[in-house]
Amino acid sequence: MCDQILLVDDEEGICKILSISLQDSGYEVFTACSGEDALEIYFKKKPPIVLTDIKMPGMDGIELLRRIKQENPETEVIMITGHGDMNLAIKSLKHEATDFVTKPINDDVLEIALKRAKERILMRRQLREYTENLERLVEEKTRKLLDAERMAAVGETVSGLAHAIKNIAGSLKGGVFVLDKGLELDNKQYLREGWRMVKGNVDKIRNLSMDLLNYGKSTEIRCQISDPNQPPQEVFKLIEPQAKEHGIILEAKLDPNLEPFLFDSEGIYRCVLTICSNALDSFRAASLMTENGDPIERMKEEKRVVIESRKTENWAVEYRISDTGAGMTEKVRDKIFQSFFSTKGAEGTGIGLMMAQKIIKQHHGSIEVESELGKGATFIIRLPKNPNPL
Amino acid sequence: MEKEKHKILVVDDELDMRVYISTVLETSGYRAVVTKNGKEGVETAVKINPDLIVLDVMMPGEGGVLMYRTLKTDPKLKKIPVVMLSAVKKEIFFHYLKMLNVKMENNISEPEAYLEKPPDHEDLLKVIKILLK
Repeated sequence: MCDQILLVDDEEGICKILSISLQDSGYEVFTACSGEDALEIYFKKKPPIVLTDIKMPGMDGIELLRRIKQENPETEVIMITGHGDMNLAIKSLKHEATDFVTKPINDDVLEIALKRAKERILMRRQLREYTENLERLVEEKTRKLLDAERMAAVGETVSGLAHAIKNIAGSLKGGVFVLDKGLELDNKQYLREGWRMVKGNVDKIRNLSMDLLNYGKSTEIRCQISDPNQPPQEVFKLIEPQAKEHGIILEAKLDPNLEPFLFDSEGIYRCVLTICSNALDSFRAASLMTENGDPIERMKEEKRVVIESRKTENWAVEYRISDTGAGMTEKVRDKIFQSFFSTKGAEGTGIGLMMAQKIIKQHHGSIEVESELGKGATFIIRLPKNPNPL
Repeated sequence: MEKEKHKILVVDDELDMRVYISTVLETSGYRAVVTKNGKEGVETAVKINPDLIVLDVMMPGEGGVLMYRTLKTDPKLKKIPVVMLSAVKKEIFFHYLKMLNVKMENNISEPEAYLEKPPDHEDLLKVIKILLK
């Protein structure tokens, strides 16, 4: 590669002699006797080194130099100058010629010029290789770091899980004790309380394992052309009795003009259900306390949860689920999509929203939350018309 | 006349734990009074002057630790023995207490007993019995 030379001189004799001598030195030589010819050959052959006379009729050496450098600044161009062409020589250096040799050409001088040119080419190549290696190295290290981080996340997940299970097991044990005492003393209240604890914790462990199963699935989403109002409708039906029981007004504002499109109806149902359940939970007494046990003042007295679907620009559908519940601080807001982060103490598994985010991501959609402490929360999910944009 | 029952204050944010521990206590001849956070806990302690306090240290935020500090720096309340319940290991908790001491004028004394959560009911009763002697 390094050993191709384009030789340009309008004097055929010089061209011939030089090319023979260069070929002797092991170069593959292309010759041209005008700037125009030279450029044509240059574009065809892309030689790394060009040796050109400065003074030529038509396109002169300087112009040729300029055009070549424009095309590929890395080409080494050595200028051949006559005696007294010092000005031209200097001008050529300004246009980034590698070197110049004077006529009559001394073989040694030419050899040195060529050697320097070749060295520069080699250096550039090495530099490029180093850079590429460096990039590869950085990429490799980054990948390793990411792997390590993933491993750490798995560790965290396991310890978070162990903690959650230990909690539930502890409460179950407590429930069994209370139940035992109820049987032993024939005490109805103990029986009731103990039974409630056992039932509640059995539910908890069932929910945890369901969440984990779903999380473990985490395979591809299964998309079908479906009605975007179907998931919120089903969620509404499911949670309405629960809302009523706690005096929460549940409202669905679903846009009837939404067109069916391709998405995973079951996945979106899970997302909407998670967010709606959280919304209902945000009215519970435990949710209405800060970390220090101080009560959170709610802006609105009314307990209301609204599930909304509508069309927005560039998206197939936008779901908005808003509540007038406890809301959350910025600190909490930044963490809600993390695994095993929960504000519900022993009640929450810290998996729901993480799963929801995963499902939405697989749809190439977006999920956002707007919330302030005491001012309720609004979750916004947007889904694109096509879940596989490629 | 029957000897008056020992009053034990139970402070825990989890309903299940409150029910469990109060059942353990009641069925063993104690009177249990429950509260669900540190603030209520201190208020109730002042009001009823319990013979012993069972305190969950891991309530949301610094709830349990703060309450413990309040108890042990109050001249009247500091004599009440405290059974500390926690999901964290004892060493970790004492390290935490030490860190808190740095900012304190008077060192906080260690709790009279420390049990990992969930406590076994026999362990809990044994500890309480010793402390109330």
